[in-house]
Formats: sequence, C-alpha cells, structure tokens
Amino acid sequence: MNIVTLTETSAQMAFWFLVGLTLTGAAIAVFPRNILYNVLGLVLALAGVGGLYLSLGSLFVAFMQLLIYVGAICIAIVFAIMLSRPLHLEVPRREVPKVAMAVVASVVFFVATVGVVLRTNWVPAAERSSDWSVETIGYLLITRYALVFEVISLVLLVAIIGAILTAGFSRRLSS
Amino acid sequence: MSYFREIIDGGWSLVEGMRVTVRRLFQPLVTVQYPRKHIRMSSAYRGHIELKVFKETGTHNCIACGTCERMCPSGVIKVQGVKEQAKSPKVATHYVIDFTRCSLCGLCVETCPTQTLEYSKEYDLVGETRWDGVIDLMARLETRRAKTV
Amino acid sequence: MGNELGTEWVRLIIGLFVVLAFSQLNALFLVWLERKVAGHIQLRPGPMEVGPHGLLQTIADGLKLVGKELITPRAADRRLFVMAPVLVFMPVLVGFLVIPFSPELILRDMNVGILLIFAFSTFTVLAILAGGWASNNKYALLGAIRSVGQSVAYEIPLLLAVLSVVLMTNSMRFSEIVEAQSKVWFIFLQPVAGLIFLICATAETNRAPFDIPEAESELVAGFHTEYTGMRFGLFFLAEYTNMFIVSAVATSLFFGGWHGPLWIDFKIPGIFWFLLKTYILIFVIMWVRWTFPRIRFDQLMNFSWKVMIPLSLANLLVTALIVKLV
Repeated sequence: MNIVTLTETSAQMAFWFLVGLTLTGAAIAVFPRNILYNVLGLVLALAGVGGLYLSLGSLFVAFMQLLIYVGAICIAIVFAIMLSRPLHLEVPRREVPKVAMAVVASVVFFVATVGVVLRTNWVPAAERSSDWSVETIGYLLITRYALVFEVISLVLLVAIIGAILTAGFSRRLSS
Repeated sequence: MSYFREIIDGGWSLVEGMRVTVRRLFQPLVTVQYPRKHIRMSSAYRGHIELKVFKETGTHNCIACGTCERMCPSGVIKVQGVKEQAKSPKVATHYVIDFTRCSLCGLCVETCPTQTLEYSKEYDLVGETRWDGVIDLMARLETRRAKTV
Repeated sequence: MGNELGTEWVRLIIGLFVVLAFSQLNALFLVWLERKVAGHIQLRPGPMEVGPHGLLQTIADGLKLVGKELITPRAADRRLFVMAPVLVFMPVLVGFLVIPFSPELILRDMNVGILLIFAFSTFTVLAILAGGWASNNKYALLGAIRSVGQSVAYEIPLLLAVLSVVLMTNSMRFSEIVEAQSKVWFIFLQPVAGLIFLICATAETNRAPFDIPEAESELVAGFHTEYTGMRFGLFFLAEYTNMFIVSAVATSLFFGGWHGPLWIDFKIPGIFWFLLKTYILIFVIMWVRWTFPRIRFDQLMNFSWKVMIPLSLANLLVTALIVKLV
C-alpha cells in the first residue's frame, strides 16, 4: 500500500517536472536572443511534451513526438539557422508590430485551445493494462480519419513538389 | 539502366576492395617491434665505422697513420698509436669517434691504406647524453674479440 | 502489485549499472580491436606494449584522458559546451533498454522498442550540433553542420529499411521480430533492406567512409576539435557504444538475434549467439572503415538521395505488395 502511494506521488512529481520542463523549454525558445538557444529550447519543450504523452500511457505517441518533432522538425529548423546572420554581428532589435502580432496570434490560439479543453466533456479513461495506441491510431487513421490522412499526405506531396521546383528553378536561373 | 549498372558495378568494386583488405588481415606482418627485436641490416647499410678483425693477425691492421683523421670533413676521428720498439711499425692504441657529428660520407673507409675500416651494422643508437655518441672503437674491438675467443 | 513495482525498480537500477559498466568495457575492447584490425590490415601489429598484445592499451589511454586538464575555450558558449558531451551519451544508454540479448535478457520489452532507439538517436545529432556550435571554432561548426546534413539524409532510408521489416512482422517489439526469424533470418528475405540498414547505420554513427563530420584531413577533428580530456573521451565512448547499439539492432532485425545459425539447437544460451553476431557486425564495420576512403560531401548526399532513398522506397513497396499477396 505504501509503495502504491509512493509511486503515485512520484508519478505526480514526474508529471509536474515534465510540465516545468516543457514551459522552461518554451520560454528558452522564445526569449533568448541567441538563435541556437531558441532551437534547443524548442527541443526541450517538444521532448517535454513527449514525456507528457508518456505519462498519459502512450509510448508510441511519445516516441513519434520525439522522432518527428525533435528528429525532423528541429533539425530542419537547424538548416534554416545556417542561413541566419552570424552571431558576432549586432542582434537586430525586436520590432514592436511583429512582437504584437506574435502575441495576438498566440493568445488567440491559447484561448481557442482552452475553450476546447473547457467545453469537452471529459470522461475518465478505462483502466488499460497495455499500450493500445499503435493499433487504435492505425485503425482510426484508415477508417474514421481516412480523408484527413489523405488530405495531409496531399499537402505534403504539394510541399515536396514545390520544394523540388523551387530548388530546380533557382539552380537553373543561377547557372 | 545505367543507373542500376552503376550500383551493381560500384557495389562489386566495394566487395573487391574488402577482399583485398581481408586478405591483408591474415598476411604476416612486415614491421618489426623496434626495441624488442633486432634484425640483421643489409650489407649496404652504413652504420658508424668499425675496425675490422683480420683472421691472419687476430686483430686490426690500423697503423695510426692519421689519414682518416685528416680526411674526415667533420673532425670526427681521433686516433693514436705507438711504436713498440724503434723501427717497428706503428700500431694504433686508441681510436675514438664522435658519431654525433659524423655525416657518414665514408671518406675514412675509402682512404684507409690498410683497409682496416668497415661500416658497422649498428642501428640502435639511443643515448641519454651527447657523450653516448662518442664511441671507442678499440673497446668495441676488444669486446668483439673476447666474444669470439 | 506494490512488490512487483519494487522489483521493477530494482531491475531497472541494476540494469543501469550493468549497462554503464558494459558500455565502458565494450568501448575499451572495441577501441583495442579497432586498432588491431587497422594494424593487421596495414601489415603491422597495432598496439603491443601495454599488456598481452596491447590489450590494456586503451585502459592506459583512458587513464591519460582522465588525467588531462579540461580546457574550455574563452570564446566558447560554456553551458552548451559542457552539456554536449553528456547529452551525446544519453541516447546511447537509452538504447540498451530495449536490445534483446536473449529471450530472458531484455531490460524492457516495449511494444515500440524500435521507435525508442531511433527517437533517441536524434539527440546524438543535436548534441554534436550543440558541441560543435558552442566550441566557437570554424572547424567544429563545419563538422557539426555536416553531421546534421548527413543525419537528415541517412535517417530516411534507415527508417524505411526498418519499416520493411516491421511490415513483415507486424510488430515493433524486438522480441517478436527476433522470434519471427526462428526459421529464416530476415537478411535472406530482405537483403536490400539489410544492406541499406548497414550502410545507413555506418553513416549514422559517423564512421568511415561516412566520417565527414570529423574528417581529420580537412577539419582537424571536426565537431570535437576543441574538446579535451574526458569530455572528448565521452564523445569517443559514445561513438563506440553507438557502434555496438547499431550492430545489436542490425543483429536483431536482420541476423536472427539470439537464434543460432543453421537453426540447430546447440544448447548454447542465446546471448552467446547474439553477442557473437553483434561483434562480427562490428568487425565488418571496422573492416569497411579501413578499406574505403572518405567520400566527398556531394557524393554523400547524392548517394543518399539518389540511390538509398529510391531503393529503400522501392523495397518497401515490393515488401508491402508481397506481404499483402501472401
């Protein structure tokens, strides 16, 4: 009995630790004026979100989070960083309209998310002994959300074609 | 089609390369563990000079004429000899070289009138001071003779 | 219930210590093996002085590394510079969680074990990037950038190759994948995927001929140019442990894991076969390193995007088709 409460409290602590990690990462991703810190903060935040998925009991979604957001998206952002200005130059000032627009966008998104969270009628999940997410997600992706799935792949295809065309044209123009 | 051709040809060349290296892996080594093992140097090797031991006399033939000493461009050689009696030939008693300054030109070997100099096959010449480069050829001769007797 | 959880924790903690000890020993042995293989391929004996046939040479080297001063360049970004070597070692340790040494010897047999290894392997790249960038040295930065580019290019065919195995077994659990190979190893059913996996794994571990992030003839030492002492040692350790992990994953995905050859029961524990195959694969990786010259960056990219990715995609398609039909 004692051990059960102990694990429960440790699970609670782990949860709040992960929340703290995510928020710290998010803060690092936004505030420092050093662009590599921003990316690493983003990595921290996304890894924290992955940890939250883990505490929700889905290994699959957690690892997918790491694989896609940390492994692919953040690395892609690193590629973009290579195009940024050298760090030893003076940091450009933050422009007020830009910051204001960013704040407005995030507030709108935050309010929308909170609204959805508040309006959802949450039911406690049934006790699950094993990881069910792989089969369930796979099943849902090709039945109920098949259209969404296809549309997303179409968007990705368009993006790929666009990238190839852009690269091809710019090369042809430069040579 | 040339795309697949290239993959297959390229892949085969990689396999060929791996075959070469794996065969090397099991071939005998060609290097020698330097201070642990001594090897016989080839006859063309020029070490520092050495006094020959002649079979007829059982010793060197150096007459301490000093030709090598005068010939040496670096002043490496110091040789001294004595006449045992009046009218007897001079015999070298001391023969010392400073190998640290030797350029291995070989003029001493070529000018020696009695051909009593040769190149030694010594290559392991590590020393702690510069005086380790000063070699007493007479002493070396004595130890060599002591070994053969 | 409570008791079970307790034993689970004890198991994990013991496992962690065993893994730490094993990874150090393994790295010590592999460094020695690498130097021996390199030596004999070049017709020289390799390390011979410390211990019988130089077996203790790496211990001496390790002691030397521990004794060295840790230098942080003045212009370096201190926090990231210190953090990077630690960060590079974490994914390596996590990888040991799911490797199936034998039917009984898996620390955690997760249903998404394969994903775990690949999800965490991206942290290695980030650590290399952080270390290279924080060094504030042009060679280190170039090495880090190359590492990022290389990992993006080679992670795709790597995952596609793994995916074709997952399609065949319908599982991402290591024990099930190994069990599925009790009759035929997947290297015979999936030779293309196996080959692609091995090539990409060599690239992912930054081993020659794909070692351009640390190409010593052009970048001094690449991303770890500014690292000294045990910080450099950690990068080195991570490289060799990574090699072990990659070979272990290849063993369990393509070479039958703990199953013996010829499907005969030799009455030998599975861990023996597993380690034997893993070390043979490691030997092959070393053999490759000492055979081929380093490839150029454009060749590296062309090879990945024009050969590996189309081939692995085609392989995946054919696999899916056959799995569907059979």
